[in-house]
Amino acid sequence: MSNQSGILVVAEPKDGKLANVTLESITQARALTAAAGGPVSVVVAAAEAAPFVAAAGLFGADRVYVVETPEAAVFRSNVFIDAAMAAIEAAEPAMVLCSGSPDGRDVAAGCAARLDAGLLVDLTGLEAKDGRFIATHPCFGGTVIVEKEATGGVAVATVRPNVFAREETPKDPEVISLEVEFGAGSLLAKVLDVVCENVGIVSLEEASTVVAGGRGMGSAENFKLVQELADVLGAAVGASRSIVDEGWVSHQYQVGQTGKTVSPQLYIACGISGAIQHAAGMQTSKCIVAINKDPEAAIFNFADYGMVGDAVALVPALTEEIRKRKSAS
Amino acid sequence: MNIAVCVKQVIDTEAEKKLDPSSWRLDRNVNCILNPYDEYAVEEALRIKEAHGGQVVAVCMGPEKATDAVRKALAMGADTGVLVSDEALAGSDAQGTAYVLAEALKGLEWDLILFGVRSTDGETGCVPAAVAERLGIPLLSTLAKVEVEGSTLKVHRETEQGYVAYECPTPAVLSVIKGINEPRYPSMMGIMGAKKKPLEVKDAGALSLDKSRIGLDGAKTRVLSARIPEPRKAGVKVEDDGSGAQKIAEFLASEKLV
Repeated sequence: MSNQSGILVVAEPKDGKLANVTLESITQARALTAAAGGPVSVVVAAAEAAPFVAAAGLFGADRVYVVETPEAAVFRSNVFIDAAMAAIEAAEPAMVLCSGSPDGRDVAAGCAARLDAGLLVDLTGLEAKDGRFIATHPCFGGTVIVEKEATGGVAVATVRPNVFAREETPKDPEVISLEVEFGAGSLLAKVLDVVCENVGIVSLEEASTVVAGGRGMGSAENFKLVQELADVLGAAVGASRSIVDEGWVSHQYQVGQTGKTVSPQLYIACGISGAIQHAAGMQTSKCIVAINKDPEAAIFNFADYGMVGDAVALVPALTEEIRKRKSAS
Repeated sequence: MNIAVCVKQVIDTEAEKKLDPSSWRLDRNVNCILNPYDEYAVEEALRIKEAHGGQVVAVCMGPEKATDAVRKALAMGADTGVLVSDEALAGSDAQGTAYVLAEALKGLEWDLILFGVRSTDGETGCVPAAVAERLGIPLLSTLAKVEVEGSTLKVHRETEQGYVAYECPTPAVLSVIKGINEPRYPSMMGIMGAKKKPLEVKDAGALSLDKSRIGLDGAKTRVLSARIPEPRKAGVKVEDDGSGAQKIAEFLASEKLV
């Protein structure tokens, strides 16, 4: 147990690159191991690992464990758990960081169960203190902030996207190729097809700006005004529960307790009242701008900038205003 | 196809959640409901049963009052229920919960295990994967579509860009997302009938649970501190006088956000 040192980041390949949250985790791991010691390792499972290895080195990985196999061409929970486990056995880290995405959660939970290790989820902070790792995570929609640690041995964690900085610190990492013998059960799930319906969509959980619409947009038709504002800002689109339940947009846009949790630099809420269950998914945003015609709307109680007015008129006007400013600069 | 659907009782999503400062445990003395995501899992289990036959058992870990969550699943149409309830289980973390559910599931008959993608209070989304790992069967999570052909599953796993289609033999653990179906409301007949359906309550002894793995003491994580963050303060509030859009743009520019 005393041999365990350093941090292992489980890479999440995404659209041919490493997911931002992987790069953020590597950057944070660098900062922590500078004080606590131990190497920063990254494990990459992919059909062709080279570009991911290069990216891990660019952000300062000391070692990259590579599981290069056609079996890992597309995410499969059990295959990626086996790959991460092989790297954990090789690297003997004190802490394993996975991404706070559906893929990362599966890998973290699977590895923690196999290792019988402490599982820390949805980290928004990670510190090293006297050789121990102390994790911060918000519970109950950010209404309580908890500091936790694993009680012994290696800890496995998932990291919330967008909370740690990304910084390049180029290194020439040691690359270690791992031969993984996948368990018979791990190869049972077979990929039939990969379907991309929303090519180029900005990831809601990783976006630095989110523009979200609610009932105050008036109609499903008007929701495109939200999309247009998002487009001009390079932002992801979000939605309140009520309009998802109305069927204006698909549930994958929903922000809140029964939707996604986001922490962008900027969250623009258009015609959203800001009920508890919506606030739970977005109140850790750095800056919140709210547009709502009801001056009593709850969202004004926690928005940094509130505009009392009709979102149906203000949203397209804001799109136009930003477009104008962009073309002027 | 026999199906076990794992359900949890959670605090109403509209209610404020509070922690007991002595134990850091969630104060559950408020209105509790069946975890909203689990309704989709129960509905999916019922649809598979209706198309292919078999039995649906609802499995839950929680305090005695979580019986209500199991009864809701029974009222929707599940055939039997199992509640694992024991004071010794209080304070279990995701790992402990997965251990208990896996042990309970070992004593039941199923070809398929369904979960909601996560609970709206614990929010870890980690229990399905940990249960699959403990049972040594494949995991398919975050599913937007499930089809059964004989003993083969064809599923769609949601991604940001669309979905990935997988095929997998049973047995397997699946977690389903909102939008996979429209959960039914229990009928009056269903609610009445649920009271007569078998609901077995098992304690730690009945499942021969290893005490070192359950409850607060068995947790593999320790809470060091918990605090209520400073509530976000209201910032500027401006009335739109026709120049609202320019004002917002100016604010964004001043904060270097555009």
